[in-house]
Amino acid sequence: MSKVIVQRRVLLLGSAAAALVPVSAFATSDVGKAAPAFSAPDSNGKMWSLAELKGKVVVLETSNQDCPYVRKHYNSANMQTQQREAAAKGVVWLTVASSAPGEQGFVTAAEANELTQKRNGAPAAFLLDPQSKIARAYGATVTPHMYIIDASGVLVYKGGIDSIPSSNVADVPKATQYVRVALDQVLAGKPVTEASTRPYGCTLKYGNNAA
Amino acid sequence: MHRLLSFLLAVCLAGPALAQQSVVKTDNVRAELVSEVSEVKPGEPFWVALRQTIKPHWHTYWKNPGDSGLPTEITWTLPAGAKADPIVWPAPTLIDVSGVINYGFQDDVLLLVKITPPADLAGPLALKADANWLVCDDVCIPEEGKFALDLPVGAAAKPADANTRALFDKARRVVPTDSPWPARFGLAKSGDPTLVVDAKGLKPDTIRNVYFFPAEWGPVASMAKQTASVTAEGIRIPLKKGDAKAAAPSSIAGTLVLTEKTGDGEQRQAFDVVAKLDPAFVPSAAPLTASNEGESLSLVEALLFALLGGLILNLMPCVFPVLAMKAAAFARLAGHERSAMRRDGIAYTAGVLVAFGAMAAAVIAIRATIGEVNWGFQFQSPIFSLLVAYLFFVVGLNLAGVFEIGGGFTGIGQGLTAKNGATGAFFTGVLAVVVATPCTAPFMAAALGFALSQPAPQTIAVLLAMGLGLALPYLALSMTPALQRMMPRPGAWMDRLRQFLAFPMWASAVWMIWVLAQQTGPDGVVYALGGMILIAFAIWLLRLGSAGTLGAWLRRGLAAAAVLLAFAAVLKLQDGPATAASASGGPSTGVSFDGWERFSRARMTEAAAAGKPVFVDFTAAWCITCLVNERVALETPGTRRAFEQTGTVKLKGDWTNRDPEISSLLKELGRAGVPLYLYWAPGAERPKILPQVLTEAAIVSELQAKR
Repeated sequence: MSKVIVQRRVLLLGSAAAALVPVSAFATSDVGKAAPAFSAPDSNGKMWSLAELKGKVVVLETSNQDCPYVRKHYNSANMQTQQREAAAKGVVWLTVASSAPGEQGFVTAAEANELTQKRNGAPAAFLLDPQSKIARAYGATVTPHMYIIDASGVLVYKGGIDSIPSSNVADVPKATQYVRVALDQVLAGKPVTEASTRPYGCTLKYGNNAA
Repeated sequence: MHRLLSFLLAVCLAGPALAQQSVVKTDNVRAELVSEVSEVKPGEPFWVALRQTIKPHWHTYWKNPGDSGLPTEITWTLPAGAKADPIVWPAPTLIDVSGVINYGFQDDVLLLVKITPPADLAGPLALKADANWLVCDDVCIPEEGKFALDLPVGAAAKPADANTRALFDKARRVVPTDSPWPARFGLAKSGDPTLVVDAKGLKPDTIRNVYFFPAEWGPVASMAKQTASVTAEGIRIPLKKGDAKAAAPSSIAGTLVLTEKTGDGEQRQAFDVVAKLDPAFVPSAAPLTASNEGESLSLVEALLFALLGGLILNLMPCVFPVLAMKAAAFARLAGHERSAMRRDGIAYTAGVLVAFGAMAAAVIAIRATIGEVNWGFQFQSPIFSLLVAYLFFVVGLNLAGVFEIGGGFTGIGQGLTAKNGATGAFFTGVLAVVVATPCTAPFMAAALGFALSQPAPQTIAVLLAMGLGLALPYLALSMTPALQRMMPRPGAWMDRLRQFLAFPMWASAVWMIWVLAQQTGPDGVVYALGGMILIAFAIWLLRLGSAGTLGAWLRRGLAAAAVLLAFAAVLKLQDGPATAASASGGPSTGVSFDGWERFSRARMTEAAAAGKPVFVDFTAAWCITCLVNERVALETPGTRRAFEQTGTVKLKGDWTNRDPEISSLLKELGRAGVPLYLYWAPGAERPKILPQVLTEAAIVSELQAKR
């Protein structure tokens, strides 16, 4: 008797739930599935869209130049080195500034170019995402949050830049550089062994964008 | 001379060591290394803490920081042979930074660490700690501090000053306790885990803000909103799977946090939970939404929900015998004028709505007087259980054909339902609701929780919507000739169906007796079954022979006596002691009286008058705060020892079933409910009311005061 009733209850709650599914402001991106599409202008006014990059491997790097964890990887030259390595292998590395206007990490086009020069950065482009559209589509939570999209448009890596979550520059040489390892595997046509790792860094500054 | 030299040397060395700092002030945090002892005993473990006083609106992080951030880390430099355990983390709070979820601490937090000094410690114990932490509001700053604390050695550990001890006492209170309930989780086809904590017998409407903090990154996503549901059967939290790519986990660890509304205020409670994978449990893909978060359910949604719930009530085993009676009545009405049919349907609907309206009125009245009400409140009364059991039994007898209603036999209210026409239909509606309530209580608690937590107009609206749902199929039938034509023709099948329906009715009666047994113990079962025999006897008497003779009058008198006797059981039940296990809670763990005497006012005043110290614990099986107090303060070895040494009389009052003696005492003391702790110091005129949140130190110092 009780069994029957339990099923009824599930039926009841289940049918009611259809109307009550909570709406999240964030999407999530799943490794192994098609990467969320985006298009955004870069700091020189050129439009970039993921669809047009099909056939190339793409790296996304969320950035906030004043975040201690971003600074860790720029001050140690880790980020710029990997940007150059990637460029040499034909990979399109996109640095993305997704902070909302007024929040830490927000940059104008001119500031972004200045930053690249000052940091001696070498991304293929510095995308401006002041409405956090790209960050939200990928469910990015921190800076730096790293993503790799393969030539067929599938998300093959998401997570941290490396394996030691700290703001200490001295940890960089000791850490496994997840993005570098994953890129090598993707370019060699192998599956990525560590395809989803714990991202670490400062909270991405969505500001009121996320509401 | 030599000794003097070495003394001077020691002073010179100790001087700068003592000047080493135990406090570090950064831009956003004042951090201090504090110790619970001012002198340590070699080999005996003691507690220290890194205390962070954080700038308003900023936060530091828990062991799992959530979507961003990093936990505080402490690296110890200790003399050889000394040992520092990992940080014991307090329960975190959820910090939402524009939708990015962080788990951390605001304002003031103590990170507890157990230190074990070496057994051969000779000089002062030198503790050195390098701590680093990330502190954020919307921007994040990594900070660090170097701390040193030298603690003299002594023959026995010497406690620090009272303020420091109070600090530690408070800190321990916010460290999660091990979950008193088992936990498990199931994986939906999507891979999303649903956590179930088998905490039976909770009162859903007293529990809010349920949240599961996963202990680590990976198995559970922290960004997804959690909508927990609390029912009498336990706590259920549908979660989103996390980003770890590893195979499905075999266990999920974390901290369950909830807020319980207690007698005078709200208590935040935290439990460490390790849930094992239950392969047999496959939650449905759609997240179950429940009433835990009142705001998430709008009134319109709640009304729809209630309407749907009422419709489904028609399928419940308690109700469908009544509805089948109604269906049979319709079949008999077939061929009559349409207006008669319509009148019948409307009268039935009116009966249902009036009954639900009466129920809403009862809920509102109880809420106004007692303060809170939980669906199933009526089952806290054994009288209600007994009367419903009788009703089920009699309806069953009627269905089985033992007696027919109408031949001058009335007396039981149910007889009204057989009256012809609108009145009969109206009372069938009332009866349908009465028999439906036992089914709604345990199985629709979540849906009803909303109605009960809302202001009066909403409560009425939601309950009426549920009533409309219950009546709707028959209302539709009576209004739609097309549907009526689909009804089977009246015939012998109607009698057979009717007789068959007696059996589920009796099964429901058995269930009500089981509920009664939970409330009153075996005695209640005897009264109930005896009462049923008397009722059956009365019916048999009434059906004997013809009317009008002297014998008939005699039989009527006897029958009336038998029925009266059956209902007299009600009085016996009121006297019977209420025991644990609330009706809707099923097999509850109940209240343990091990080492405690059962509370009675006489025993309390007698012991207090005799000059003995008396400690009174008012508790209930469904009260989480009571449970936690027992585990962390009342039943610890230290408290037990103190009780024993002081010869304290320990009384425990169980309010699980709202024992009237306890209720009246609570009222005198201005309390709405439990927990309530009273302490009569030896020879005291009146008891002292202790805080609702107890610690071992607080009780022990209370017991040992004035001695």
